[in-house]
Amino acid sequence: MAVVLDGIAYGLQLALLAVGLTMIYGLGGVLNLAHGQFAVVTAISAALLMGNGMPTLPAVILGVLAGAVLALVIDGSIMRPVYRLHGENRVLLSLLITIGVAFVIDGLLIYNYPFTALNLGVSGPAINLLGVPMRRGSLAASLLALVALAALIVFLRYTRRGKAVRSIIEDEEGAMLCGINPSRVRTAVFALSGGLAGIAAVAEGMTSSLSATDGLNLTILALIVTVVGGLGSVAGALLAGLLLGIVYSLATFYIGAYVTFIILLVTAMVTILVRPSGLMGRGA
Amino acid sequence: MPTTQAPLGAQQEGDSAVVTGRAGRWRAYLPVAVTAAVLTALPLLLGGERYYIDLATLALVYAGYAVGFNIIFGNTNQLFLCMGAFAGVGAYGTAVLGNELGLPMPVGVAISVCVTAAFGATFSLVSVRRRLDVIFVGIVTLTFSLVFINLLLGQREFTGGETGMILDYDPGPVGERGLVSYFIFLVVLIAFLTIYRWVQRSYIGWAFRALRDDELAAELSGIDVARYKMIAGAMGSAMVGLVGALYAHYEGFFSPTTFELGQVDVPVLVMLAFGGIGSLLGPVVGATVFTVVDAVLRPLAQLRTAVYGVILLVLFLGFRNGVVPTINDLARWLARRRAPRS
Repeated sequence: MAVVLDGIAYGLQLALLAVGLTMIYGLGGVLNLAHGQFAVVTAISAALLMGNGMPTLPAVILGVLAGAVLALVIDGSIMRPVYRLHGENRVLLSLLITIGVAFVIDGLLIYNYPFTALNLGVSGPAINLLGVPMRRGSLAASLLALVALAALIVFLRYTRRGKAVRSIIEDEEGAMLCGINPSRVRTAVFALSGGLAGIAAVAEGMTSSLSATDGLNLTILALIVTVVGGLGSVAGALLAGLLLGIVYSLATFYIGAYVTFIILLVTAMVTILVRPSGLMGRGA
Repeated sequence: MPTTQAPLGAQQEGDSAVVTGRAGRWRAYLPVAVTAAVLTALPLLLGGERYYIDLATLALVYAGYAVGFNIIFGNTNQLFLCMGAFAGVGAYGTAVLGNELGLPMPVGVAISVCVTAAFGATFSLVSVRRRLDVIFVGIVTLTFSLVFINLLLGQREFTGGETGMILDYDPGPVGERGLVSYFIFLVVLIAFLTIYRWVQRSYIGWAFRALRDDELAAELSGIDVARYKMIAGAMGSAMVGLVGALYAHYEGFFSPTTFELGQVDVPVLVMLAFGGIGSLLGPVVGATVFTVVDAVLRPLAQLRTAVYGVILLVLFLGFRNGVVPTINDLARWLARRRAPRS
């Protein structure tokens, strides 16, 4: 039971990491391989601010903003040529370009801040939940993830802008005919996904620590979750995140960490081969 | 899937340089011969100094990888992000067969190369049968790479885990390093280039060009897309597997890091983008320039990664055709200007 709860806590973080990636894909037809790097940028800037004596809360908020602003800048500059392409070519070029972005960010951060890590270390005695003692760090992280995800769902379901986002994911041309400007919404969602990656980084920082070298790993995890949930599906990413989190935690507990990663990877591979649209995708 | 724009500078070269028919037969192989001559003379030009020979050998290794990837990605548009893993299959396959079963190295290499080719063909077959988009082929092969590297790390008793693998047997002439190794890799590369040109000029090359331009149209005109993609997958993977196996024995010591994405796939992608995707000499030019730049930038340590990122961005945003096709275009343009107008 404790293992399952741990898994859910981890799964919420995974979902948080993946929703941003899946939204950009659904919306812009862009596979952002620099997604994990957005999280790392948040982590490093927050850690640096805290190192300079800023209190935790504003430092973390500024860090998340940094992630969002970075996404905004990238969307407004080097992603422009990508949006001029369509369909498969757009995905392909976006993938290659964002690999480049990921390299630039990784190189700069690892070179300049090899030892900086975001470690929020929420400590204190364990709290009993359903009769199971849970670490404070993972409870806080889960709470943060829950709030962020709930806010996202409210945004997508009930606000005008959120509905615009969903309509573009559904049908870009149709949305345009209804007077929605896809380019502007896309920019907003890119920034949002940067911010979500940042929040995921903060949650990660509460349970363990996050340093400059973790970008690629985070991207891969997000990619696995996104693929299993169905590229472009927000609900799929949530479900897949939770499921994979539980699988992760069970496998680590019973088998060992090294096999666990392989299990996750193979799940993603099998999903693509058996049901490319993912858990929640429509059609094949 | 209709393609409106050619994605990454789809080869002008393929169409004009591949002159079929008698007159063009020898001219078509001229670039290969010139490359062979230049690279044979290279050690003399470098003054035979050990550091430069090693560097040149490394360039040949990368060029070999890049030719293989060029067949798979450049010619049939299959984004295989597992070149490092395939090179690793070649290397670890040979080494494990040699260490555990005592098989002689050539046999081990032959078996491992066949296994790599089988992997490549399987990926191609599966992706065609499951109608995967380029992007999904990329993700599947990427996960394969990660699984492979993790398995290497896990299966310590066979692979030595992250500490690396030591060969219990004599690696033969490849392991001598210096000029001998250089020329072995040179022969391999020239063989690859000859095969590449031969394929381009054969009916297989026509099929490749047809299905790269428009898969659906190719299928409708009676080209067995699955078959030709498998041919490309198997051929390119076998090349990468062979080079990987030889490189491992040349180094004499290797670990999973040797075959990581960042060590093989990304450099090869950069080289190909630089040299020109789908061109004959693009991989050679790209590999040479990359190796030199890499050696020059070595003092920068981690900043090198950032520089590569910038190079990648500039290449894909600015010169999507690559250097070799651009030069070809320029030459053709000059020739047209000089020719009297009729």
